[in-house]
Amino acid sequence: MVSGPALPRPARLEWFEQIVVPHLNAAYNLARWLMRNDDDAQDAVQEASLRAYRFFDGYRGGDPKSWLLAIVRNTCMTWRRRTQRGLSTVVFDETVHGAAHESSAEELLVDAGRRSALRDCIEGLPVDYREVLILREFEEMSYKQIAETAGLPIGTVMSRLARARQRLEECVSGRRRAAGV
Amino acid sequence: MNCESARQLIDQLLDEELDAGLRIEVRGHLADCRACLEAYARLQDQKAEIQGYAPHYEAPAALVASIRAAVEREAAGEKAALAAGTKWRWAAVAASVLLAVSLGWNFATLRSGGVNRDLVGENLLTSHLRSLIGTHLLDVVSTDQHTVKPWFNGKLDFSPDVRDLSGGGFPLAGGRIDYLAGRTVAALVFHRRQHVINLFVWPVDALAGASPWSRQGFNLVHWESGGLNYWAVSDIPVSELQQFQALYEE
Repeated sequence: MVSGPALPRPARLEWFEQIVVPHLNAAYNLARWLMRNDDDAQDAVQEASLRAYRFFDGYRGGDPKSWLLAIVRNTCMTWRRRTQRGLSTVVFDETVHGAAHESSAEELLVDAGRRSALRDCIEGLPVDYREVLILREFEEMSYKQIAETAGLPIGTVMSRLARARQRLEECVSGRRRAAGV
Repeated sequence: MNCESARQLIDQLLDEELDAGLRIEVRGHLADCRACLEAYARLQDQKAEIQGYAPHYEAPAALVASIRAAVEREAAGEKAALAAGTKWRWAAVAASVLLAVSLGWNFATLRSGGVNRDLVGENLLTSHLRSLIGTHLLDVVSTDQHTVKPWFNGKLDFSPDVRDLSGGGFPLAGGRIDYLAGRTVAALVFHRRQHVINLFVWPVDALAGASPWSRQGFNLVHWESGGLNYWAVSDIPVSELQQFQALYEE
């Protein structure tokens, strides 16, 4: 029998190391895209990780990444609702262009432009579209995993993903035309 | 296949979410239709562009360190609580920590042992349901643990720990012999308000144990004590079953 407090603590921490820690990069990437800034993303992942630790008995042996990302996603969405932060603003980040200008290589300039255009356009997507796109293209989750993580029917995942891609293409090609690329 | 249907399926083609039949149909259409092929190519380009050029954020090392520290603090708090714990709510904490141990131990074997685990769970649930719908809930009817425990002597090759938990709201109702996956097990019956809890007991290693789970509205909680497996099955909430477990183990 497991008696006394000595054994449970390391076992539970061990569980945390096995189930949660390996997916902290994915957790942070999702939170960073949903919150659109480092500070909020860090706070959200910190809170979500603690929730995961506290509510580990909700974990029933499925895909640990989907399970953790669902908690991260719910944490982010709750925070967004609470703080009502910028809903669909597109922030054009001058620092990326500034950094690119320091380099003389034309390639780097073009790359930096592509990077910032893509980032701005993805960040400018409505959050419901953005989240399915991130889960699909960055985490390479199946529609079924996305549906579980985001708590959506598969049909909704598919339609949101298609619309996200369409809007993203419009935005990126618009940016290219404006930049004369 | 016409353009309209094809356009609705090219995202799924790109994401490899189409079954073989549809995949062939859509590819066939793309081979014949330049406009749809171009739309598909744009999707492919976009995917490659995102993978090549969109920032992929990594958790800062300081964040990971801070999360580990917070979890350690949380764990230390639980430890202190356990040490202090005679109070009821700490019993629940103890139960959840014990469950954590069970989860931690079983995670590595969950995948390989999945079939076995499901089999045991399924058998437990079947026995529980059979005891509810049939007339064979109790072989020995007694609320006295000193009557129920000796009753098992000579009927089992082990001696289950029998406790009456009426003080905690889980009065003992009696016991019976049950059969699970080909072996004889002890089934102790408790009441919780109008609900029935079956507590199945058998020696460790005879059947694979596993972490708590639920199915069809029934919850199952498992622990080990004195070389025996204990499985509690009921339709009461898992938190109450954990309470039951904590009281049983006191």
